[in-house]
Amino acid sequence: MRILIVEDDAEAGAAMVRGLTEAGHQVTHVADGALGLKAASGGGFDVLVVDRMTPNMDGLTMVETLRRAGDQTPVLFLSALGEIEDRVTGLKAGGDDYLVKPYAFAELIARVEALARRRETGSVQTVLRVGELEMDLIGRTVRREGREIDLQPREFQLLEFLMRHAGQSVTRTMLLEKVWEYHFDPQTNVIDVHVSRLRSKIDKGFDRPMLLTVRGAGYRLEA
Amino acid sequence: MRLPALFRTTPFRLTLLFMALFAGAASAFLAYIYVVAVGEVSRVADSEISHEVAALEQVYSHGGRDALRRAMIERAAAGHDFLYLLLDENGHRIWGDIPETRVGRFDERNTVWMRFKVNAPTPGGSVSQRLARGERQKLTGGEVLFVGADVSDAEAYVLRIVSALWGAGGLVVVLGLAGGLVVSRNVTRSVSQLNAVVAAVQGGDLQARVVLRGSGDEFDELAAGLNDMLDRLERSIGGLRHAGDAIAHDLRSPLTRLRTRLEVALLDVEAGKGDPTAALAQALEDADGVLKTFAAVLAIARLQAAGSAPDQKPFDPSQLAADIVELYQPLAEERSLEFTAELAEGLSVRGNREFIAQAMANILDNAVKYNAPGGAVMLRVRRRSSGEIEFSVTDTGPGVPEADRPRVVQRFVRLENSRSQPGVGLGLSLVSAVAEAHGGRLEIDEGPGKVGEIGPGLRVALVLPRAQ
Repeated sequence: MRILIVEDDAEAGAAMVRGLTEAGHQVTHVADGALGLKAASGGGFDVLVVDRMTPNMDGLTMVETLRRAGDQTPVLFLSALGEIEDRVTGLKAGGDDYLVKPYAFAELIARVEALARRRETGSVQTVLRVGELEMDLIGRTVRREGREIDLQPREFQLLEFLMRHAGQSVTRTMLLEKVWEYHFDPQTNVIDVHVSRLRSKIDKGFDRPMLLTVRGAGYRLEA
Repeated sequence: MRLPALFRTTPFRLTLLFMALFAGAASAFLAYIYVVAVGEVSRVADSEISHEVAALEQVYSHGGRDALRRAMIERAAAGHDFLYLLLDENGHRIWGDIPETRVGRFDERNTVWMRFKVNAPTPGGSVSQRLARGERQKLTGGEVLFVGADVSDAEAYVLRIVSALWGAGGLVVVLGLAGGLVVSRNVTRSVSQLNAVVAAVQGGDLQARVVLRGSGDEFDELAAGLNDMLDRLERSIGGLRHAGDAIAHDLRSPLTRLRTRLEVALLDVEAGKGDPTAALAQALEDADGVLKTFAAVLAIARLQAAGSAPDQKPFDPSQLAADIVELYQPLAEERSLEFTAELAEGLSVRGNREFIAQAMANILDNAVKYNAPGGAVMLRVRRRSSGEIEFSVTDTGPGVPEADRPRVVQRFVRLENSRSQPGVGLGLSLVSAVAEAHGGRLEIDEGPGKVGEIGPGLRVALVLPRAQ
């Protein structure tokens, strides 16, 4: 996957380049918004990782300019501003996701990959399939190897998110934000408990676990 | 030339303006009174004189000059209050009790009104000038008859009225000016007090306040408004200052811990007895802890500094609570806790959903964390009779001794028996900050009581004001 990083902090930029390269992506790094706009306008990137405050042209303006030009490449905003209003401003400017600094690499990579995936599955799907697992989004039913699995509404949403990002790591924060729509960090491992419940429903009685725990990152659903 | 400060004040200028208007009106009134009074006095005197002249003319037409002369002498002797003078056709005096010169020269007019001075002997023998008024009548034989009346007393009376009116006018002006000065001074004093406070605040003294006089007038209202504004400003600035101090203080200890750990790890690794990977992993975990603390402290500080939570909207508190219950239900079950919720329907509260959800999550975190297996957690949303909306969480954990309850709200306070649990002691501080930022409060009471080994529990309530 080709990723453009627009980040003026050299060290943070270099670290991101390294982390994302190691995760198997092709990474281009520019240090200011004007260069970022030029590079992004050239096209060919799957995801843009943009710092909100960059020299020459700030990240918000850069993304707004791109969006006005009709460029729909997914954008992940990075920012030290973490208030809800800041987040809303970022998303309004055309950002697809918002990550507050400082962040863990695992979080960054998981979110970047999730964004790229979202673009691939642009068309409306009614049935999701991951290996033996099949989810009917209209009938609200889930089957594994044809056997129906009874899920609570929230478990269904959780599984849907995992299936849409099958093969990728998703972090606890991502789940809390995207499935529960909370932007705070509970002290206790509430998400883990929900995931382990879901796991017991979809993996119990089958010889191979699909919902895996990724150490230091979160979870991954494997086909 | 610059006028003294007091005379330059707006109220004083207004007073002067009104004084001028009033003085104009009063002068017109005085002039009217004068004209009417003088006219009345003259009219009475003149009509009596006319009668007398008519009577004497009668005498003259019957008896001629001599009869007239006799009549005049008789009348003067009889004590009539008139002054008489009779001149012949050449202007020579025939008889009279006033000097002819005072009457003036004869002219063509038959009847004239005139004023003249008369020398009347006073009881003391001296001669005083008195004011008289009279009518001169040319008789058919060419003689001139003059009949006058002493109007000194009446004139003096009118003059007294006029001078009294002038005096009253002067008094009005003096009192008006004095009143204007008093009003100006009062207003000036109120305004200068306000100015002094504004100047003090500009000078950096945020504690300066206007002393209210309790009169309830516009100045008191303005002063109260100013004080209120300053209170808010001071709280807000104090909040910011406090936030800065708090962040500096709150981060110093975990950062020191992190630094020490790294230093020890470095020494260990150098000595060849530590595992670098484990040390780094530990350091990373510590750093995450610091960041989490930082985020929490920042959130609290921002809420406190802002004074009011941003982005407040009306929402159904029970709906929010139901979502939170759904989030915590599995955790409670995992810990073998009975988790129940009692959510009243049809309520509405105004607030920031995200902050209130986080506050609820913090309270539930504690309720689950400090509960003993087999215990219970109960979340309740209801409207109090006061109209306030209450979110309360009751647990069956060890509770908090009454003396410690105010303390657990403070940042970083962790009670002795809670140190074994994860956490940094910011949970309830945030709940309290959220409550205050919504104009509500945090209540901490004893739970359901002690049952065997379990209890007495804790009841934590977030109380929000009634939706407007």
